[in-house]
Amino acid sequence: MDALINPLALYIACALGAVGVGLALPTRGVSWRVPGGILAAGAGGLVVLLLSLKAYDNDQLPNVYFYVFAALALGSALRMITHPRPVYSALYFILTIIASSGVYVLLAAEFMAFALIIIYAGAILITYLFVIMLATQAPVEGDEELQADYDAQAHEPMIAAGVGFVLLAVLTTMIFNGLGSLSPKSDPVAQEQVVLESLPIKVDRILDEAGLLQEHERVGRLGGEGVSKAAINIERRTIVIENTQTNTTRSLSPEQWPKDLSATNTEMVGSSLLVDHPGAIEIAGVILLMAMLGATVLSRRQVEIDEDAKAHEARRLHSAEASS
Amino acid sequence: METMLTSLIDIPSLLTLASAVPASVSEPAHGAAVGAAQVPQPWVALIPMLPIFGVIIAGVCAIFDVRTKLPAFLTVGCLAGSFLLTLAVFLRYDSFNHGDPFVVHLFDWINLSWGDPSHPTSFAANFSFYIDKLTVLWMLFVTGLAALIALYASEYMSHDVGRAYCRFFVGFNLFVFSMACLVMGDNLVLLYLGWEGVGLCSYLLIGYFYKKPAAVAAAKKAFIVNRIGDLGLALGIYLTFVHFGTVQYSELFASDQLQGYLTAAGEHRWSDIPMTAQGIALLLLVGAIGKSAQFPLYVWLPDAMEGPTPVSALIHAATMVTAGVFLIARAYPLFLISEFALPTVAWVGTITALLAATIGMAQFDIKRIMAYSTVSQLGYMFAGLGVLTTTGAAFHVLTHAFFKALLFLCCGAVMHGFAGQLDLRKLSGVAWMKGWGIVAIGMLVGCLNLSGFAFTAGFFSKDMILAEAFVTPGYSILGWILIGTAGLTAYYTFRVFFRVFLGPQHAEPGDEHHDDHAEQDHTDETDDHHTAAHGHAAEHGGRFHPHPPGWAINTVLVILAIGSILAAGLYFIEKDSHGWVGAMINDSSASYHSPYADHADVAHAEEGAHTGLLFGQDPHQIMYYVSGVVGLIGILLAAILHGPRGWQGLFLGGRTEAGKCRMDSVAKLFGPIPRWAEDKWYVDELYIAIFQTPLRVFAHLFHLFDKFVIDAIVDGVAKLPGALASALRPSQSGQLQGYAAGMAGGMVVLLIIVLVVIGGAS
Amino acid sequence: MNSLFTLAQTDYPEAMGALTLAHYLFLSAAMFALGIVGFMTRRNLIIMFLCTELMFQASGIALIAFSRFHLNHTGQTFVIFVLTVAAAEAAMGLALVVLLFRKRESLSTEEWAEMSG
Repeated sequence: MDALINPLALYIACALGAVGVGLALPTRGVSWRVPGGILAAGAGGLVVLLLSLKAYDNDQLPNVYFYVFAALALGSALRMITHPRPVYSALYFILTIIASSGVYVLLAAEFMAFALIIIYAGAILITYLFVIMLATQAPVEGDEELQADYDAQAHEPMIAAGVGFVLLAVLTTMIFNGLGSLSPKSDPVAQEQVVLESLPIKVDRILDEAGLLQEHERVGRLGGEGVSKAAINIERRTIVIENTQTNTTRSLSPEQWPKDLSATNTEMVGSSLLVDHPGAIEIAGVILLMAMLGATVLSRRQVEIDEDAKAHEARRLHSAEASS
Repeated sequence: METMLTSLIDIPSLLTLASAVPASVSEPAHGAAVGAAQVPQPWVALIPMLPIFGVIIAGVCAIFDVRTKLPAFLTVGCLAGSFLLTLAVFLRYDSFNHGDPFVVHLFDWINLSWGDPSHPTSFAANFSFYIDKLTVLWMLFVTGLAALIALYASEYMSHDVGRAYCRFFVGFNLFVFSMACLVMGDNLVLLYLGWEGVGLCSYLLIGYFYKKPAAVAAAKKAFIVNRIGDLGLALGIYLTFVHFGTVQYSELFASDQLQGYLTAAGEHRWSDIPMTAQGIALLLLVGAIGKSAQFPLYVWLPDAMEGPTPVSALIHAATMVTAGVFLIARAYPLFLISEFALPTVAWVGTITALLAATIGMAQFDIKRIMAYSTVSQLGYMFAGLGVLTTTGAAFHVLTHAFFKALLFLCCGAVMHGFAGQLDLRKLSGVAWMKGWGIVAIGMLVGCLNLSGFAFTAGFFSKDMILAEAFVTPGYSILGWILIGTAGLTAYYTFRVFFRVFLGPQHAEPGDEHHDDHAEQDHTDETDDHHTAAHGHAAEHGGRFHPHPPGWAINTVLVILAIGSILAAGLYFIEKDSHGWVGAMINDSSASYHSPYADHADVAHAEEGAHTGLLFGQDPHQIMYYVSGVVGLIGILLAAILHGPRGWQGLFLGGRTEAGKCRMDSVAKLFGPIPRWAEDKWYVDELYIAIFQTPLRVFAHLFHLFDKFVIDAIVDGVAKLPGALASALRPSQSGQLQGYAAGMAGGMVVLLIIVLVVIGGAS
Repeated sequence: MNSLFTLAQTDYPEAMGALTLAHYLFLSAAMFALGIVGFMTRRNLIIMFLCTELMFQASGIALIAFSRFHLNHTGQTFVIFVLTVAAAEAAMGLALVVLLFRKRESLSTEEWAEMSG
């Protein structure tokens, strides 16, 4: 497949976006924020429009909510980097997070979507807000002259926007050129089979709710003692049910397959996390621990000790050591 | 070590000369001679070892800061011991190896062999001593004069008592050791070691007053000029080894190769002798010219007079400068096989003799006059070697050693007494001052010898050379030049004597006070001590009183004067072989009568069988009269031109005050020529123009090249990172945004590269 | 087409088209670019940290999109690690910001230009 969209159009859009973002960034004096924002939005919309036209031809249009969430996310991100007030920036960032979590839901990552809202919007951003409020005096509304200079004036906005959008152009060129060679390789059924096999009690419960189990019956257990796996086959849609009283087994026909017998996103993610990446999660734990220690140490009040005092202290400690 | 120990045990018996051969047997020398037998005489090694012992004890004295004359007397003792040992060798020589040369092996020094194991090429240069009569002759006067001059120096250097005094005697002893290695070594490499050693000691002792720029310059000049000669010597030694495969005299002289060449030379078949073999002598000659201050490398010797006078007397008059003569005498067979070597030697010697004499005539510094006289006399010796009379040359070396040492020591006494005054225009009538009689008599004896006055030792030795110059065909022109030079010699010698020692008493002190010397080395020595210890207290009173020499100087002068007179007697001992020296020489490699040079002897004897004639007579007979008359003419000329009025000037002179004489008006007749002679014919300036200036120009050019090209490149390489850093420095603004932009830009560039590469690949 | 107006992915686990993926990746790239532009232009230390968070977010969207495209949950798993790193970075970064603010009473990056060459 050749480029998804005309490269020239892409680069023009990137250039327009760069100009728009550059204009939208905070400056003292005449503000070009609104026209800049419109320009940037138009550039982004142009690219998405071209993409969508192409996708429409191939019947691969994304869900309509994608456009909503994408617009929300990019718009609030733009507003976040252009707003001269840190508190507003943080709040816009929360909006970006929420829009992103919507995109996550669109992508069938429900667990991560809610985790994102809880962790980011709920924890991290609140910390940011604390610090912002700690370090910034709340200015009188609309009085930009009282604004701290480092908030009111961006640093070389056009150059930075240029660099950033060249990067965007390169990235999108790579993405659009390379997509043709991509193809899904994983076998989702096999993954789900593994996850569902390892959840016999959940299978029992679903079968019971569906009224498929008699008394003393449960889904067949595979493996030896202590390794209990549900005896189901998702591909052939067969389930083996055993009777614990009589030690007899029977099979359910594929037509009897309960509708909601499937692994949830959370179960899949949990399985992937704990079964496939146990080392990584250990490391993540260590990183968090170190961050906690580091933050604790850093935020203690630092006592300035000059060299003489240090030497004096060292002598005192030394003599104390010697006497003891 | 064993040999040394037994030698030490053996000393008492040795000094009484009662002991015969010592009990111990030295190790046989590796690759030792066929021609010279191994005779175990390990105590002979003590001759060079005693001076080394003197070096050590003088050094120890320096360490303990001895402020007495102890090191001097210890030195005298060591050197006298060496002299007595040499005397013992001389007296008992016939009993050692039936009168034949022998080798005393001390220890293995260099002993290599390589190549095919069945026929290895070997190189042996051991610390062994080759004792023949030439060696003994040389060692006799070297150690004897060294002991005497050390005694003289004990007084002469007394104003420096202390560390510098020790330093002087360390150098002095080291010199005698080096000279012994040079003379006694049984191979050319050991000779080279000694050769370099005496050069080093010469450098150290000329530069003894190392705070005096002239002395330092003179020392450097001597050392550097000698380098040129030493290069020739080293190349000669290499060539000897390459051609003959050995550097040991005994093997070399006995080799069939050399004997074959000598036969060929005797029959004038020069083309049968390879050029490499003929070249050896010429290369050795370069070394000899450097060390013996011959034209064109003589320029260092007059300047070397900046050193203390005992050094001038011993090193630069009596011994070291005769090393060149010794080298030629020792390697005489090698010179005989070279077609051009001996004629070159003769001509170099003659030119040097004449040139130095003419310069000497015009000088006013009495030590410099003596220095030029030394150069001139060395020229005579070379001429003697060149005209095939090694006997004459060696005899002249011997007599010259005595009388020139005497002359120098007399000049030194004058210098010592008159606070460094050496200008003959400012001294007069010294002989009549109180306490200067012995010096005056010594000076007179020396001057008579040097002038070749009838029946003095110098007369006989010079005659032998002059006569032989007329006898040897083709060299009579040299004879005439040398006779003329003898007249000049007599003139400038007696010029000094008449001016300085006779006439009205007058003396101006030199500007060089002994205190100057003392201060140079002895900041630790107080002035009070110094002046009290020495007799210069009068100088501090404002009026100058010369102080006559003390007992040590007088004793040495007396001994040397007697020696100079008695040396004439040597001519009459063993008349068959041209005197005692001839007898000594004839048994060594230096003689063409020696067994090593039999064939050449025949040839030269035939061709030069006393065919030369002078005034129709045999030159050996007539020369006595001719040279006697010439010498007398020179003396009378000096008396007329420089002698004082009255009988002291033999009623010929007219000088009434120190600075004025008839010569002043006579000199005007010659126009600028005396001026040129006084300026040494501008030879130094010529050398500066020819060698020093171009080298200096090159040095400046190379310096510029180094500075602007090499340094520029090096500095450029060094500055490049700096320049790059300066160019890159603004990127490190410290602004976080700057780093972020850099990071993002870098990422962009990397991604573009990846994109281009992948795009190109797909 | 019935999925067009439905929020839930009813067609899961059907594979997502590459062109659909392109939309999400463009969203991710654009967000990343905005984050980097913000990081380069804003002079407030806290806002700069927020911009890094924005870039983290963009990478998270890309990961989730690929996870969906490949029907593989590893992408989602790695968003957890991205969140971990973001949280750690926020903790450390904010602690540092507080420390620096105490020293200079300012959040400006220009206050901390001592590394200038």
